[in-house]
Amino acid sequence: MENKVVPAATKYPEKPITLIVPFGVGGGIDLVARTVEKSASTHLGQPLVVVNKPGGTGTIGWNEVAGAPPDGYTLAMTGIEIILQPLYGTTKYHYPSALEPIAQITELSLIMAVQSNQPWNSLEDLIAYAKNHPGEIKFGHPGIGGINHVLGETFAKAANIQLEQVPFQSGAEAMSSLLGGHIQVVFLNPAAVKEQLRSGKVKALALGGEKRLTDPVFTNIPTFREQGLDVVCNSWNGIAAPKGLPDDVKKKLSEGIKKVIDDPEFQKNMENLGLQITYLGPEESGKKWLIDSQRLTKTVQETGIAEKIKTQKK
Amino acid sequence: MDILNLLLQGVSVSILPANLLSCIIGVLIGTLVGVLPGIDTVSAIALLLPFSYGMDSTAALIMFAGIYYGSKYGGSTTSILINVPGEAASVVTCLDGYPMGQKGRAGAALAISAIGSFIAGTIGLIGLTLLAPPLAQAALAFGPPEYFSLALVGLILLSKLTGTSTLKSALMAVIGIMLSTIGLDSLSGISRFTFGIDELDRGFDLSIIAMGLFGIGEILTAMTHADAKPDIPSVKFRDLYPTKEEWQRSITPMFRGGIVGFLVGLLPGPAATISSFISYGLEKRYSKHPEEFGHGAIEGVAGPEAANNSAISATMIPLLSLGLPFCGATAILLSGFMIHGITPGPSLITERPELFWGLIASMYIGNVLLLIINLPLIGVFVQLLKTPLNILMPLVAVVTLTGAYSINNSMFDLLWVIFFGIMGFLLQRSGFEPSPLIIGLVLGPELERGLTQGLIICNGSIWALITRPLAAAILSLGAIVILYNFVTWFTRRNHKRKELDVN
Repeated sequence: MENKVVPAATKYPEKPITLIVPFGVGGGIDLVARTVEKSASTHLGQPLVVVNKPGGTGTIGWNEVAGAPPDGYTLAMTGIEIILQPLYGTTKYHYPSALEPIAQITELSLIMAVQSNQPWNSLEDLIAYAKNHPGEIKFGHPGIGGINHVLGETFAKAANIQLEQVPFQSGAEAMSSLLGGHIQVVFLNPAAVKEQLRSGKVKALALGGEKRLTDPVFTNIPTFREQGLDVVCNSWNGIAAPKGLPDDVKKKLSEGIKKVIDDPEFQKNMENLGLQITYLGPEESGKKWLIDSQRLTKTVQETGIAEKIKTQKK
Repeated sequence: MDILNLLLQGVSVSILPANLLSCIIGVLIGTLVGVLPGIDTVSAIALLLPFSYGMDSTAALIMFAGIYYGSKYGGSTTSILINVPGEAASVVTCLDGYPMGQKGRAGAALAISAIGSFIAGTIGLIGLTLLAPPLAQAALAFGPPEYFSLALVGLILLSKLTGTSTLKSALMAVIGIMLSTIGLDSLSGISRFTFGIDELDRGFDLSIIAMGLFGIGEILTAMTHADAKPDIPSVKFRDLYPTKEEWQRSITPMFRGGIVGFLVGLLPGPAATISSFISYGLEKRYSKHPEEFGHGAIEGVAGPEAANNSAISATMIPLLSLGLPFCGATAILLSGFMIHGITPGPSLITERPELFWGLIASMYIGNVLLLIINLPLIGVFVQLLKTPLNILMPLVAVVTLTGAYSINNSMFDLLWVIFFGIMGFLLQRSGFEPSPLIIGLVLGPELERGLTQGLIICNGSIWALITRPLAAAILSLGAIVILYNFVTWFTRRNHKRKELDVN
């Protein structure tokens, strides 16, 4: 591991701050990062520079940040994958302990959607169909082991039905396969289904969050819990730094990010993207990481996802 | 005439000074992005996103679109001049564009590629204007099994693009497929053939391999042939441009390439790159001079350069009318749109007609601008070739290596460019062509993804996979072409034998 030199933080920040997005350009997490970038320089005193380091479901980018000096000049966008990936056993760092959260920015309730010409109008319909036709329903998600995949498997287990998973490279590919009728169900984030919901090409059967969403396009979607299934799977995005930031740097950074998030301009931009802001400060985010770790450890074991990925990796 | 009215409204939006200026800036940056090897459309737009925040949203979209289609105009320049593809979609232009340059016809090749881009860009835009929503729906009928079939047929038909033996070409295509499996598999999350090296998780960038095989390979070849300096006589201005014969040979390929590119552009994947290879394959098949391909056949420049440009217009169709980006470049365009508060999709056309039609109209204008910008530059570029070899080649090396580094900001990649450069040099000396390797590299992942996803969809039955109506149609077409090729080869061989017997 690299030697972590902790510099004396005098006038932080003195130079632009690098914000690493460990996923490709154009995804949901990238959009959040670029919206932060857009409002950052007025509140942080220095511009943020977004750098995409895609690959390995986030691990290439996070490895880099985890190994970077904790001086506040290298930050990472985070997502629930920082909790998930170490559970599969082959990451270089245990991210929840190698990184520390600065803020959570947004929380995403994943949406379960089907094509509108399907006969299913509720979870109940779909579950009944699946029970009579085991293995016939295929669900699409953007990547094995990701939160969308985990939600799909969790739902199938809770409903006691057999669903086959089809991995795609992106939410857009999964959506086009759904629209073409090649798969029957997708689990995607709200932004990825919003347009198709609005135009009536797909209908949403359930929401992965604990509460309904407030956006008028989504208010009618019932949660899994409302429909009698104990399935909760939220994704979130935030910002983290390498562990060991000097206190004053951490304070300046988290205050600055808070200001960015409070900026009405930022809030309007996030709304444009179909993203809801659910801010959590450094401590609350840390607690959230802990809770998510415990919950997901249980889920990936129960659904057999962890096992499946580990055997594949051998 | 409804569409004409809307388009006229769009024109009135796109000629507003701010929008016109963004269009000019966009296509200029696009040309530059295309010319410089290594810097691709995605990273250019990503870099420019922050600068667009203060701009009006329509103006910003016009600029992004300009960078996107503009980059495909510039991509051919370095392919033709120095054998370094400026963009992945211009790899195939190296095959005949560079030999044309060495014969002193670089000007003609550049002109044909700019004019071909313009004609095909226009074809693509007309398709986009008239047919966007129904075509977007039709594209959805293609699912994983169909992509698998397309990739399979494509691999078989395209692997023998140049003159070498079928066996050698097939070997190269297989090496390409093997190279494409290195890295973290995006579907299963498994690292394959990375030997625990983090950087290998990313896999090989197509540009890295292409720049090595073609660009660095060419530098090494030039260094070992002291007399390789192409003898370029001082040409008159008129000679820079295509002759009447070159024109006649190019015009059909341009239109054919335009149509091929448009159709390929509707499907997910690196459409611009794939369409250029398909167009090259087609032109070679239909040409009266197939033996000239690989040695400076102008059809081999005209068709592919047209194809990659109309593919660009076509990739805008799923993006604008469904909100679905089918490739990396349209994904970053989508980001740009969304950050400016605009969500492409079915409702964009009805709810924001001024924006949709303004964007389309600006693309027509941008294509004209690109032609006006590019044609006068040809003279400047051709002058570059007069630089003595011992000055030009080191410069090419610097440009290539800088470009290669900039793709992932990685020294590791530089080593690979040099490795593939040496490989390209050795391959050429031993009579292997690198282009089937590129085909394998592009189509291999499509083949694998289509097969994996398709098998799950078809409950693990390969029979169910290949008998889906569309997939079966594609495969049968491929089989017919292969059979036809085999029969002609067989009869020709018999014919030759008989002739020998008679003699």
